[in-house]
Amino acid sequence: MPKAVETRDLTRAFGDFIAVDHVSLEVDHGEIFGFLGPNGAGKTTMIRMLCGLLKPTSGSGMVNGFDIANQAEEIKRTIGYMSQRFSLYGDLTGEQNLKFYGTVYGLNSRQLRARIDELTDQLDLGVFIDRITGSLPVGWRQRLALAAAIIHRPAIVFLDEPTAGVDPGYRRTFWELLYRLADQGTTLFVTTHYMDEAEFCRRVCIMHQGKPIATGPPHELVDAHGEKNLEATFIKLITQGATGTG
Amino acid sequence: MRSILALVRKEFIQVFRDPVMLRLIFVSPIIQVFLLGYAVNFDVKLIPMALYDFDRSQLSRDLARSFSVGDYFVIESPRIPLQRIEDGFKQDRYRVALVIPEGFSERVRTGRPAEVGFWVDGTNANSAGIAIGYAGTIVQRFNERHLPTRIPIEMRQKILYNPEGRSVYFMVPGIVATLLTTITVMLTSMAIVREREVGTLEQIMVTPISKTALILGKTIPFAILGFLEISAALALGTAWFRIPFIGSKVLLYGLALIYLLTALGVGMLISTLCRTQQQAMFFGWFFTLFTILTSGFVTPIENMPSIVQHITLANPLRYFIKIVRGIMMKGAGVGDLYPEILAMVAFGIIIFTSASLTFSKRL
Amino acid sequence: MNRIGQIALKELRHIVRDVRSLVIAILMPVLMTFLYGYAINLDIKNIKLAVFDFDHSQASRRLVSDFYNSRYFIPADRVPSLTDPEAIFKAGRAHVILTIRPGLEAALSGRFPYELGLLVDGADANLAAAVTSYSKIILYRLLEEMKGNRLNVPRISLSQQVLYNPDLKSSHFFVLGIIAVILMLISALLTSLTIAREKESGTMEQLLTTPVKPHEIIIGKVIPYIALAALDGLLVWAFGVFHFGIPINGSLGLLSAFGVIFLVAALSIGILISTLVKTQQVAMLATFVTTMMPSVLLSGFVFEIRNMPRVLQAITYIVPARYFISIIRGIMLKGSGFDVLWHQALGLGILALVLLTIAIKKFEIRST
Repeated sequence: MPKAVETRDLTRAFGDFIAVDHVSLEVDHGEIFGFLGPNGAGKTTMIRMLCGLLKPTSGSGMVNGFDIANQAEEIKRTIGYMSQRFSLYGDLTGEQNLKFYGTVYGLNSRQLRARIDELTDQLDLGVFIDRITGSLPVGWRQRLALAAAIIHRPAIVFLDEPTAGVDPGYRRTFWELLYRLADQGTTLFVTTHYMDEAEFCRRVCIMHQGKPIATGPPHELVDAHGEKNLEATFIKLITQGATGTG
Repeated sequence: MRSILALVRKEFIQVFRDPVMLRLIFVSPIIQVFLLGYAVNFDVKLIPMALYDFDRSQLSRDLARSFSVGDYFVIESPRIPLQRIEDGFKQDRYRVALVIPEGFSERVRTGRPAEVGFWVDGTNANSAGIAIGYAGTIVQRFNERHLPTRIPIEMRQKILYNPEGRSVYFMVPGIVATLLTTITVMLTSMAIVREREVGTLEQIMVTPISKTALILGKTIPFAILGFLEISAALALGTAWFRIPFIGSKVLLYGLALIYLLTALGVGMLISTLCRTQQQAMFFGWFFTLFTILTSGFVTPIENMPSIVQHITLANPLRYFIKIVRGIMMKGAGVGDLYPEILAMVAFGIIIFTSASLTFSKRL
Repeated sequence: MNRIGQIALKELRHIVRDVRSLVIAILMPVLMTFLYGYAINLDIKNIKLAVFDFDHSQASRRLVSDFYNSRYFIPADRVPSLTDPEAIFKAGRAHVILTIRPGLEAALSGRFPYELGLLVDGADANLAAAVTSYSKIILYRLLEEMKGNRLNVPRISLSQQVLYNPDLKSSHFFVLGIIAVILMLISALLTSLTIAREKESGTMEQLLTTPVKPHEIIIGKVIPYIALAALDGLLVWAFGVFHFGIPINGSLGLLSAFGVIFLVAALSIGILISTLVKTQQVAMLATFVTTMMPSVLLSGFVFEIRNMPRVLQAITYIVPARYFISIIRGIMLKGSGFDVLWHQALGLGILALVLLTIAIKKFEIRST
């Protein structure tokens, strides 16, 4: 069985700027994989390539056994994507948004009804589903965006900074939802720069200037570098990377 | 198929949720038809004319009176002396002045050629030219009537399609064509660019929706809106201005559909070129302005310099306007309009195909 | 003052960074000037005339050549003889069909009544009216000449004198009007769009939470667009004067002063619209309907206000372009001074003041 995500020397350049530089990594099915790095490390570019939104400049990658270079459409059927920006229609209600995305993913109206009820329950969307999404608090919008991303039960969900701008208490709730999803067998590929969140991941990859500088389970990375937590490890790795000694 | 419908429905919910947008979409054709129907009037008549009659004879009064026959000129006895007639022009009180010199009737009576002066405010070259034309005709007819022998040759003239000569008959079909262009080009390009700006386009791109479905889903709503708009314009034109609709409505809508391929294609091309709604609006504006001005909507293409005339051959609106006018006013059919129809089909296929090819589901 | 400067600077950066829009903002007036200067010519000529001559006489040939030698008529596209005239019109091969039945030559002797047949495609009312008057002029001239040769009778002639625009160039008329349309378009549209954009992206809220006062935001945001609009207006003006040879008969100082008042009116409309709408798309449509269409249609730019129904004539009094277009044409072409333009000036001044007051009031209400 192919890995959930598998890349080999995946590279993407924008003109002279190399956003993702020879990244090779593997993600197992059902795993929560954390993709860490400071802003500008190439996290979003990586996710966009894996989702089939950007063509790689060189190297190769497979998602669910499909080639990202020429099977983008097959990939899109099996993945969910929650982008950094709030990308639901602000002038539609939550339910209208979910129906729209559900239909685009090919659900028929009966499946859709059942799935929306299920998600309402599972993500506790409650009364907010009938509100215009543009006027909702950020936390609820994120929940709706997650609901839209998993409405078609994708095998992998890519989440690009899903909790940016959300208060700490709520971030915890959101991660509980992600755990529940992972328990059901969904692979989660999450980018973040909150290190406390990264500790929730089974494995993480730390990116710096487009290159992966460390990969492994969080506690192993911490132990290997003799630091007290992931935050400190991260800072150590990044400063080493920046001074060129890593 | 269902995802196309989902997109179309979503687009309509968005349009109908925004009351201002909705009002503008439906009020603008009404305003355009009313404004253009009433304001556009190339008839040059009732031109205010200052009369300086220094002869004060029966003949001079007759000549002056012949100017006021037929609604061409309105004669006013000026309160300012002839030396200061320019003030009258500057204040826009008169557009022309007729000066009949002393001794005018005496010269005619004694068989010598007589001359009257005709002063024209040339600011508006068009109406000035027409005023000169009127004056020339009036004087020639006056001569004709006072010549000793008459030759009984008359011009029997028949005007087809619009015998009362109402500009509005001509303008409304043009409005129908230009409305369809403006609405579809602008709304399509801006709707796509707005989704890109907000980030929802990225979200749609990661779904398995096919490119065709995405293109159709984003264009069909505006095609429908365009059709609603032209129907509103047509209804208003025929009901209020009583414009005759001689030809086939089915043919008109059918050909409008072909034309829409071009308009929607242009909208999509603009959206792939632009990053912000403001840019899209500017490009759309630029395009519609250029095509409308060189389409024969207001002024005949035959009047343009030959280089501009050649450029108009590449203007799809030119063909569509001719088609709409032909169908509505003359009852033209496919047989009469096939060169224009062929041109439009060619434009539609080329532009829509190239727009679809450049429209990518990747970022 | 410093804060206003900062906002203006920020706005200027937006403008300069958006190269595409900037190019269009500069190109649009040039293109419009070009189109209106050259392509838009209301003078009707090159009317396609098809002739069916069944007389085949010297007189008929003379008549036909008179038609074609006038600067109004050109030969129609190939028309098969004995085609149904309606089919010719429907396909647009000719605008006019002249039928000369046998007997024209004989009729010139003056003994038999005779009629020439003129069939006109009346779809374009303007063209049809012109055809009527042109063909009569040609016919009468021919008749007069033929009779005159025989009878040598005296005739009255017209000596015409065209003031201000002796060559009757319509470019003079239109290009000056475009300046008003462009000033209106650039300032009202861009102002309403830039404010709507800040609302859409939420940065307006951000600005309003700072100690900047609402009117400072407005003034700061508007300054760069005044500059851009003025630049565009100047561009068209220079194009008109140097390329189309429009004369400068009046005071440019006076013209600039009126230009400033007109800009204030235009900007006020832009601000007013932006307070009423939430999105750029709506701002664009609203500006289009409330400024562009009236400025083009109800200002005397192309169509004479005199010929409009009374209701529309009344509406033109609240269209700022109406005043500015008469002012700019008066100053440039006729050399009018303040003594004749004062009532236009008064109208424009009052309108600008009222619009500005409403705009400021509205903006402050919305922002507090």
